[in-house]
Amino acid sequence: MIYLSMTLSKIFKYTLLAIFNALIVYAVPLALTFESWFFLSLILVIGILVNIVYFTDRFQPMKWILPGMIFMLSFVVFPAVYNTYVSFTNWSTGHILTKTQAIGVLEDRVFTPDDQKGLEFEMYILQDIDLNFYYVANLDSENILFGKAVSDNEIFSTSYATHEPSLFIDGEFSTPDGYYQLSGKEQIANSTTLQELSLVIDKNTRAQLYKISVFGASTGRLTSTSQLYTYDEMNDALFNNATNTLCPVVKDNFECEGKEIEPGWRVYVGGENYSKLFSSQRIRGPLGVVTKWTFQFALLSVIFSFAVGLLLSMILNKDGLKFQRIYRAVFILPYAIPAFVSALVWKGLLNPDYGVINSWLGPLYEMLDIEPVKWLKTKESARSAVLLVNTWLGFPYMFLITTGALQSIPKELIEAAKVDGATGIQSFWRITFPLLMVSISPLLIGSFAFNFNNFTLIFLLSGGGPPIIGSEVSVGWTDILISFTYKLAISGGRGNLFGLASSVTIIIFALVLIISAISFRYTKRLERIYGNI
Amino acid sequence: METSKFYNWVKEYGWRHLIALMFVTFAIYPILFVATNSIADFANLTNSKLIPDGLTLKHYKLLSSDPLVPYFKWLYNTYKVALIAAFFNVFLGTLAAYAFSRLQFKGRRASLLTLVIVQMFPSFLAFVAIYLLFFQISDIAPFMGLGTHIGLILVYLGGSIGFNSWLIKGFMDTISPSLDEAAKVDGATDFQIFRRIIAPLSRPILVVIFVITFIGIYSDFILAAIFLKDKNLWTVAVGINTVFIDDFNADWGVIAASSVIAATPIAVLFIFFQKQITGGLTAGSVKG
Repeated sequence: MIYLSMTLSKIFKYTLLAIFNALIVYAVPLALTFESWFFLSLILVIGILVNIVYFTDRFQPMKWILPGMIFMLSFVVFPAVYNTYVSFTNWSTGHILTKTQAIGVLEDRVFTPDDQKGLEFEMYILQDIDLNFYYVANLDSENILFGKAVSDNEIFSTSYATHEPSLFIDGEFSTPDGYYQLSGKEQIANSTTLQELSLVIDKNTRAQLYKISVFGASTGRLTSTSQLYTYDEMNDALFNNATNTLCPVVKDNFECEGKEIEPGWRVYVGGENYSKLFSSQRIRGPLGVVTKWTFQFALLSVIFSFAVGLLLSMILNKDGLKFQRIYRAVFILPYAIPAFVSALVWKGLLNPDYGVINSWLGPLYEMLDIEPVKWLKTKESARSAVLLVNTWLGFPYMFLITTGALQSIPKELIEAAKVDGATGIQSFWRITFPLLMVSISPLLIGSFAFNFNNFTLIFLLSGGGPPIIGSEVSVGWTDILISFTYKLAISGGRGNLFGLASSVTIIIFALVLIISAISFRYTKRLERIYGNI
Repeated sequence: METSKFYNWVKEYGWRHLIALMFVTFAIYPILFVATNSIADFANLTNSKLIPDGLTLKHYKLLSSDPLVPYFKWLYNTYKVALIAAFFNVFLGTLAAYAFSRLQFKGRRASLLTLVIVQMFPSFLAFVAIYLLFFQISDIAPFMGLGTHIGLILVYLGGSIGFNSWLIKGFMDTISPSLDEAAKVDGATDFQIFRRIIAPLSRPILVVIFVITFIGIYSDFILAAIFLKDKNLWTVAVGINTVFIDDFNADWGVIAASSVIAATPIAVLFIFFQKQITGGLTAGSVKG
C-alpha cells in the first residue's frame, strides 16, 4: 500500500515536471522570436532551477521553498529589476516595438504610384439593403469581378473579388436579387463616398471608380499598390520607394527628409529620463509639487487619524462607561468596508452641486454669506477632502491599536502620578503618551508607508485632480507619486510614457527604502526579526 | 442635590458620550446613507434623509438586469480571482514556511531576511514593469497575458507570498518540535510530518492568512485596473468605478445598491476576524 502510494506520488511528480519542461521548451523559441531577452533569461533561470532542485536530492529544503520563490522572483523581484531597465529606455507610445518589429510594420506599408494608369473597363455600382456598396468590374469575359467596395483601412481585412459570369445574360448586365443598381445620377450624388472605395482584386491590385457616366455603364480603372519602404540592411536605413530617398536611422526612428517615420523602436537612452525629470522645468515643477504633497498627505493622514483614534480610545477608556461595546463596534465599521467603495461613496457625498455635504453646509454658507465650497474642484478643497476621507478610513485602525496599548499601561503609574499631585493633562503628556509611543510608533511608520502609496484613495476620490495648469505632463494637485506614475504610464492622455514613469517609480523605491530604514532604526523591529530567525 | 449629581455625571461620563456620539455620526453617516439609499424609492445624492419615504428592492433588480453593467459578472470574477489566488498563496506560503521552520539548511537566515526586505516594497510599485512584462507574455502565451485572469492571479500570487510564509513560519515555530521528532523516530518522512502534524496544527493561522489575503486581493484596484481591459473580465473594484457617476442624473439608488453588495461580505468577514487581523498579526502594515 505504501509502496503504491509512493509510486503514485512519483508519477504525479514526474508528470508535473514534464508539463513544466514542455512549457519551457515551448516558450524559449517564442521569446527568441520576440527578442524579449529579459523574459528569456527569466524562463531559463526558472527552468534550470526547477530541474536541478527536483531531479536531484541535494537541495531538499528548496523543494519546499521553490514554488513560492518562483512567483516571488517572477512577479516581485524581477519586475523591480525590469523596472530599473525600463527607466533607462525610451519605451513610450511610438517606441513600443523592437527595431525588427518596427521594420516589419513599416515594410507592410503600401502606396499607389501616381503614374499607374491602368486598364479601363465597365463598372456597375450596386447597393444591398444595408446600403453597403458593391462593385462589378467587367474586365473581360474571363474576369467579371464582383465584391464589396471597401475604404482604404479595410483593404487588408476584406476578401478578394470573385468571378461571377452569371451577372451577364446575353452580354447585358442584370442586377442580382437583393441588390439595387445605382443610376448615373445617384452615382454623382454619392460620388464623394464612391471615390474613397475600391474593389480589392488581389494583394496589390484594386479597381476604383474612374468616370461616372449618366448614360450606360461608368468606367473603372485598375490601380496597383506597391511596397512603400524597403529596409536596406547594408546602410541600416529605410528606402522610400515613392520618393526614391534613403531614410537613415536617427536615434530611435528612421528619418525621411528630416521627418520622423512612426513607429520608432525602443532603445537604451541612458539617464535621459532622469535628467528630464530634474532639468525640464515643466516636469520638474510638478514633480516637486507631487513629492512634497506625497509626504504631507502621508504625514497628515497619520497625524489626523491617530489624533482621532487616540481621542476616542482615551474617552472610552473609562470604567463604568455605558454603551462601550456599541461605540467600539461602530468605530470599527469604516475600516471594515473596502476602501474602493468608501472612496467612491465619499466622492458622491462631496459633489459640490448635488452632494449631501454641501446641502448640509448650506445654512452655514448662508449665515457666513460665502460661496459654497467647490469640493474636489479647487486645490485647497480637494486636498482637505482627501485628508478628511483618509481620516475617516484610518481612524478605526488607530482606535484599535491605541485601545490595546492604553490597556497595557499599568494603572498604578497614573495613580502614583496623581498622588504626587500631577494633573490629568500632565500625567497624559508625561506618562501615558510616551509609553504609548513606544509600542505604537512602528505601527505609525507602517501606516505612513502605506499612505505614501495609497493609490486607491487618491485615484478613486479625486483622480489626482484638479489639474495643475501649465505642466508638460498630466498631473493634478492631489496626485501622489504613485498616481502621478500611473498617469505618466497608463492614462495621462499624452500616450504611454513607460520609460519616464519607471524613472519616477525608482524614486518611490528609494523613498520607501529610506522610510523602512528609518523604521528599522528607530524601532526594535529588526531585533525582533533576528530573534525570530 | 439632584443637580450636583447630574453635574458629576456630566463631568465623569456625559462629555465622553457627547464626543463619542459626534464621532459615531461621523463614522456611520456615509454607511447609513448608502444603505438606506439602496432601498429608498426616491434615491438621490441630495437626499439627506436617512429614513426613506418608501422601501423598494428595485435598485437591486435593476442592477442585475442592465446588460451594459454586468455587475454580477464582475462580482463572480472578483470572487474567482481572489479565492484562487488566496488559496495558492496560502498553500505555497505554507510549504515554504515548513522548510523555514523545520529544516536546517545553509542560507536560511539570509533568505528569511531577504523575504522581509523584499516585502517592504508593495508589489504594485513596479506596476509599469508588470504591465510591460505581461504585454510581452501576451505575444508568447496569450492565455496568461495582459487582460487575462490567469495573468492577474499570477501577479497576486507573487505579491504577498513572502509576507505570508513569514507569518506562518512564526506560528509553526510555536508548535512543539517534540511532536515531529517523535514522528521522525517512527520513520515518518518530511512530507508525512508536514501533512499529518504541522499543517493540521497550523490551521488557525492558515484560515486567518487566507482571509487577510482574500480581502487584500478583493480590494485591490491598481493591478486589476491596468490588467483587465475587457468589460466582462473586470473585477468589482474596476467595474464599480464606471458605475459611479456623481451626476444629478445618475441613478444613485443603483450606485448605492452596488456598493452594498460589494462591501457587505467583506465587512462581515472583517468584523468576524477583526481580533486576529488587527491583533499583532499585521503589525506594521495596514489593510489595503
